Amino acid sequence: MDDLLTDFIAETRETLEALAGEIVAWEADPADKTRLDAIFRFVHTVKGSCGFLDLPRLGNLSHAAEDCLAEVRSGARTPDAALVSAVLAIIDRIGELTDALEANATLPEGEDEFLIAALAQGHAAPAAENSPAIAKISVMPTHAPTRTISRSIRLPVELLDRMMAGVSDMVLARNELSRLLRVGGGNSATDVAFERLSLCVGEMRDSITRTRMARIEALFSALPRMVRDLAAELGKTVKLEVDGGDVELDREMIEMIRDPLTHIVRNALDHGIETPEDRRRAAKPEMGRLRIGARQAANQILIEVSDDGRGIDAERVVRKAITAGLVTSEQAAAMSWSRKLDLIFEPGLSTADHVTGVSGRGVGMDVVRANIERIGGTVDIESNPGQGLRLSLRVPLTLTIIPALTVSSNGTLFAIPRSAIDELVRPKSDQVRIERLGGELVVFIRGTRLPVVDLGRFMELTDEAEPALLVVLRAGGGERYALGVEAVHDHEELVVKPAAPALMASGVYAGTTLPDNSRPMLLLDVAGIAAAANVRRDQSVAEEAPVEKRKVKAALPTLMFRDLDGVVRGVRLALVERIEDVATASVIETGGVQMVPLQGRLTKLHSASALPASERLRLLRLSDGDGAVAYAIDQVIDVVDLHAELAPTPMAGPIAGVVLHEGSPIEILDPFWLFTNGAAHPADDHSPLCLVADAEDPWAREVLAPLLGAAGYRVTFAGEATEDRVSVVVTSSGDAPEGVDAPVVRLRGTPDHNGDESIYRYDRDGLLSALRRHVAGGK
Amino acid sequence: MALYLIARIDQEIVALPATEIGSVVEVDQIAAVPRVPSHVAGLFALRSRVLTVIDTRTSLGLGGIDRTAEMTAVIVECDGHSYALLVDEVEDVIEAGQPEPCPALLSASWRRAAKGTIRRGEDAILLIDPAVVVAGPEPLAA
Repeated sequence: MDDLLTDFIAETRETLEALAGEIVAWEADPADKTRLDAIFRFVHTVKGSCGFLDLPRLGNLSHAAEDCLAEVRSGARTPDAALVSAVLAIIDRIGELTDALEANATLPEGEDEFLIAALAQGHAAPAAENSPAIAKISVMPTHAPTRTISRSIRLPVELLDRMMAGVSDMVLARNELSRLLRVGGGNSATDVAFERLSLCVGEMRDSITRTRMARIEALFSALPRMVRDLAAELGKTVKLEVDGGDVELDREMIEMIRDPLTHIVRNALDHGIETPEDRRRAAKPEMGRLRIGARQAANQILIEVSDDGRGIDAERVVRKAITAGLVTSEQAAAMSWSRKLDLIFEPGLSTADHVTGVSGRGVGMDVVRANIERIGGTVDIESNPGQGLRLSLRVPLTLTIIPALTVSSNGTLFAIPRSAIDELVRPKSDQVRIERLGGELVVFIRGTRLPVVDLGRFMELTDEAEPALLVVLRAGGGERYALGVEAVHDHEELVVKPAAPALMASGVYAGTTLPDNSRPMLLLDVAGIAAAANVRRDQSVAEEAPVEKRKVKAALPTLMFRDLDGVVRGVRLALVERIEDVATASVIETGGVQMVPLQGRLTKLHSASALPASERLRLLRLSDGDGAVAYAIDQVIDVVDLHAELAPTPMAGPIAGVVLHEGSPIEILDPFWLFTNGAAHPADDHSPLCLVADAEDPWAREVLAPLLGAAGYRVTFAGEATEDRVSVVVTSSGDAPEGVDAPVVRLRGTPDHNGDESIYRYDRDGLLSALRRHVAGGK
Repeated sequence: MALYLIARIDQEIVALPATEIGSVVEVDQIAAVPRVPSHVAGLFALRSRVLTVIDTRTSLGLGGIDRTAEMTAVIVECDGHSYALLVDEVEDVIEAGQPEPCPALLSASWRRAAKGTIRRGEDAILLIDPAVVVAGPEPLAA
């Protein structure tokens, strides 16, 4: 709420400043319609925000002024000097109250009524200037509170964009300088200074990126009121649970999600959650539940809206679709449950049997999906008839940085938004067959027929029509097609900017981007290409084969790469957070362990052999959700779907097992081994608290405490105040401190076993397993 | 008096209003863009900006420019986008008075792009509107 209040104060103050001139002009000419409108808009906005923020005093004032001005606007009243003064007095008072709100001070009450009374028709005759209420107003500035210095400012987005562009230039300049420094040979003082500069530039880029971010709370905060009003209107009782308001995403993105989210919530209340009687009959609690949650998952934000209402019956959707002529009954019969459910995203299909005032006004789920896909997101639906419905929106973190796959045809590179890609297939494998139908290429992938658009031919780069690789794309609205490309290069995050109108007019580009190699590249508009190439939806829907089931458990997208020792290996794509190039010199080796600074944190680096002598090193940053490790590679080869089942390797190590790919065995990295051997798992507020009894012992402080910290425990020493419950006590001298109720692990100084349960203090494994046992037992 | 940039396009000496020009750069590697009007030569990276390169000759209906060698381009802003207009040569920056109306006997392609003429000593020089060059040749149907 604090953010909202700060926004409100900043906005009100800003408008007041802008309004100052209008007010004077209005005073000079009360009949001036445009001035009147400006002032009316101001009090109207204030009134709206006040109801929302629970500020009754400001609300009453602005409400009175609005009523009065509305009369003037409608012509029911003619503005006279008395009215103008009264309105101005109220505006002044709004300014004062706003200042007071920010300073956390209170203004004497009671005077508000005077001001409101002064608005009343005929309150004061032409002698208004002399009336006591107005006289009082004119000496009002006595209250002028001391203005606190505001800690929040409003900036035009354009300025932020310019700052962002400036920092991007700086990063490029830094890279060039870094190249020059290497060529010129090292001077250690220069190198140190350069490293510092590099760090500063990096930090600055991060903080400027953050200026564009806002908490999703800005979107969620309007929901409780909306749900309450809607539920009341529909005669339903609904409990709303909102979670994850502190997730941050791009400000523009928040605006783009607002409408789709509102629509989904309206639907849930109107069609999802039943009336109390219906719920009683269905043996459900009378109060319906609506949960809205946001969380960050890798480079995406996941927003889930779930209710415990009646859900959607896919069979009913299909019947509607058949009636509406969207699918034939034969097609429908071949569809899976989820496929049928997906039909609710088709244009022209509403499951509501009757139009209500709340939803079903012709804006359907197709618009929701289109809006989310336009910003590079996806919508998934899960329905459990009678039990509830869950909609998952996945959107990228920002509009401008999107994960993309780089592909090429005849040497020209293009980027494809990752969110539009279903899978990559090779035409030569046994599940994939390319055929020519009426002069056009089609591909059968595991029994499903898709039209093929060859990128090279489409872009008039080549006549070649036998693509080496097919990228299966979702063009929005359920259309799928395969884009034939010559090669797939990198998977990277690109900063995308709008292209010039002449380029956008072609309809096949979504923007331009500048990768690190400084060669401009175009981002393809997947839906635009489908339209330009005349991909018709019926071409892609047909022939769903029962093979689908086999696919589900069979293949996982896997990143294939050439390892440093020259062997081609694979790693499951879901683990790869990003591919990064770092300076080889930045890798440090300590205690036989290689570490590399990534995003400001030292990350353990695994490599199959000694690091190459080259200047730059290519890394895979692997993440299991919270911990991260780096894996050095030579180059990325491809992303392919590989069998989920491995032939396991007998020995524990970085290789989990082997999988056959096009006849040759591919080693798959073992994420379990990589993460257990060196992922940094920083301790946080929820980590178990370990109390070290020997506060005076330097060994405990210098040797034991760091070991515990590295193992993910929070450490406190006897005598230090702590509010949390101690999970376990470690002592090498004697007993636990008094008053602490926790299991105790005792350490001894010699390796010899002396009969008690103590643990030799350099027996790391023994100590850690004892801690784990006690922490688990204590819960 | 105002400043004008004097450049050569094909055999013609032209003037561009200096206030609309960001800079003059040498352009080498142009990334080609398929499926766009022929006067769009491609994309070019200037520091972290991506510029759309306009083949000024094609745009004025004079036939294409030789795109193999290193080329000179005049950077202009138009509707929030940055463009690099390829010219054969930049000669000078001069000060001149208010533009005068164009002579009546210009060819069609020049007539569209020319906003008037300015004087350099004895010579009259055509003043070109960068926005028209960016927009490209008129559609044939019109």
